Amino acid sequence: MRAGVWLVIAGMAIVTYLTRAPLLLALARRPLPPRVRLWLRLIPLAVLPALALPLVLVDHGRLTLSLAHPPLWGAVVVVTLAACRANVLLTVAVGVGTVAVLRGLG
Amino acid sequence: MFVYGTVFGGLAVQAGLRAVEVWGMSVLVFAGASQFIAVPMLAAGASPVAIVVTTYVVNMRHYLMAATLAPAFRGFPRRWLALVAHVLNDESFAIAVARRNPPDPWVYIGSAVAIFGAFLAGVVVGTQLGGLVADPARWGLDFAFPAVFLALVAAQLRHPADWLIALVSAVVAIAAALVLPDNWHIVVTGVAVSGVAARFVSPEAR
Repeated sequence: MRAGVWLVIAGMAIVTYLTRAPLLLALARRPLPPRVRLWLRLIPLAVLPALALPLVLVDHGRLTLSLAHPPLWGAVVVVTLAACRANVLLTVAVGVGTVAVLRGLG
Repeated sequence: MFVYGTVFGGLAVQAGLRAVEVWGMSVLVFAGASQFIAVPMLAAGASPVAIVVTTYVVNMRHYLMAATLAPAFRGFPRRWLALVAHVLNDESFAIAVARRNPPDPWVYIGSAVAIFGAFLAGVVVGTQLGGLVADPARWGLDFAFPAVFLALVAAQLRHPADWLIALVSAVVAIAAALVLPDNWHIVVTGVAVSGVAARFVSPEAR
């Protein structure tokens, strides 16, 4: 048992339940205000790139902007395929494959 | 969902989590996107508070789904609803809303239970397979996490404004990642960029 990891899991479980249960249990009669609905819908659009791009381009606090950086090309492939509405898992597999092939060549 | 669970289980084990921790997270949290996000943060030694707050922000979209589903569940015992709430997920919501509006509560419950089971079964298989790959980076598997996030967001980009929001968020996040400790750039950028965008984008256009 690693207490730290379980503590994080417990915290994640609690805050996630707090996003699911209150409005369902309250049997909300009125829909949320339009601006709030819009904001809740836009959050994933802002969070996901904020998560992904630093993983691709920032390494140990330094920006890696090089054409010889395989994950950069993986990212280009993934965004192109997904924007063309290809299956998400297929898109991920092709992206991962691109990085593996470029590393194999380099 | 089974495959999605398998991918998650495999990657989580490779990132250094124990199988039982991955299963526990999948049962107790059961929110795929936020679990995918938490694993690389845990592996990178991010602060627990940063991981939990990021999870909360990523899962705030549940408020929208819960509010939409709520009218369909009038007359259900509250104890039931407390359980139904835990299996709220994007896929079941999409299925239930696509079929009828207001959604049929039983279609929703059936699909949610099926997805919960399929995801967990996938996670268990994934955690067993994940330990078999000796050198994940050689197969590009370290890129799988950002690949999942990029694929999920790119699949949602419809309007030109969506592309602008995603692009601004990417640039702001990279800048923030260079100055903020502990992966706080994710939450800070996500809340700030979406908040500003929600003030300027017209709600009627969607």
